[in-house]
Amino acid sequence: MFQVISRTGTPVTRLLASRGAVLVEAVRGRKSRNDPKAKSKEGRIKVPPPIDPVEMVVLKERFTEYELIMRALRLEFKEEMLRKRYEAEVGSQAEERAKQEAEEHRALMAWNDAENLRMRKVRELRIQNELEAAELKKSEEAIQAEQLLQELIRAKEREILQLQEDAKNFITLENLDQRIEEALDNPQNYNFAIDKDGRVVKRTVLE
Amino acid sequence: MPRYELALIVKAMQRPETAATLRRTVETLMERGAIVRGLENLGERLLPYNISKHNERHARGGYFLLDFHAAPAIIPGLLNHLHRDVDVIRPTVLKNDTESSHEHCCGTSAPMLDDTVRN
Repeated sequence: MFQVISRTGTPVTRLLASRGAVLVEAVRGRKSRNDPKAKSKEGRIKVPPPIDPVEMVVLKERFTEYELIMRALRLEFKEEMLRKRYEAEVGSQAEERAKQEAEEHRALMAWNDAENLRMRKVRELRIQNELEAAELKKSEEAIQAEQLLQELIRAKEREILQLQEDAKNFITLENLDQRIEEALDNPQNYNFAIDKDGRVVKRTVLE
Repeated sequence: MPRYELALIVKAMQRPETAATLRRTVETLMERGAIVRGLENLGERLLPYNISKHNERHARGGYFLLDFHAAPAIIPGLLNHLHRDVDVIRPTVLKNDTESSHEHCCGTSAPMLDDTVRN
């Protein structure tokens, strides 16, 4: 009935199929090619359906007319579409529109450049400020570090002086006997209690 | 050199003998290269419990405090020597650091290094 495009063809055949074709599988049904025909169908001669010639002629004329008109309409529409596309690209308005678009583009680009410049200036200013702040901070920190170092040195010097003072009271071989006698004469007692103000409150007696 | 303190418990003896023991101890220290700062006497006291040492049982003892500066390497040798001394009941060497800084104790106003942590 319809033109059958078999599935076994190449994909190109499928893609290039005409408008009225139907993509159906061409199968042989239950019997394969070499099977004998059925007994009831042995002497069958396939006869096409009878045609009335007059009717045929009339129908053929009508169909040709109809197809002509349809084809003409389709081609007209196609042509209209092509013309529109052509006009859009190479028409009277096309140049002006192109010029306008170019102008707009140029204006926008100019604006963009201006913005970029402005932002760059702002950014540079900001970076400069930041650099200055960082430098200030660094110099301050250097000063702080130096001050700390000086403090440390002074503290150490104080300690050294303190130690030198204490060194006069150290025990040497000469003082030894004297200091031992002194120590034995003065027993120290650390067994006392203290209240929150640091005054001595209670003393435990040494036995 | 770090600063140590020797808390020495000597046998309860007469004064000359105690003096001799102390002198011996200080001389040992000085031989090993220590510098003795001072010597304190905490008196002859009752020991908190009876201590048996060198085949003798002691109930009383003389407490003495020796602070000195020494290299850490001599301390084991020193303690060994003192343990062997018959007149010494108990020698104890302690560290004596007066310069321990508590700057970074919790709760003090130390500045935080990372300012972004605190919002």
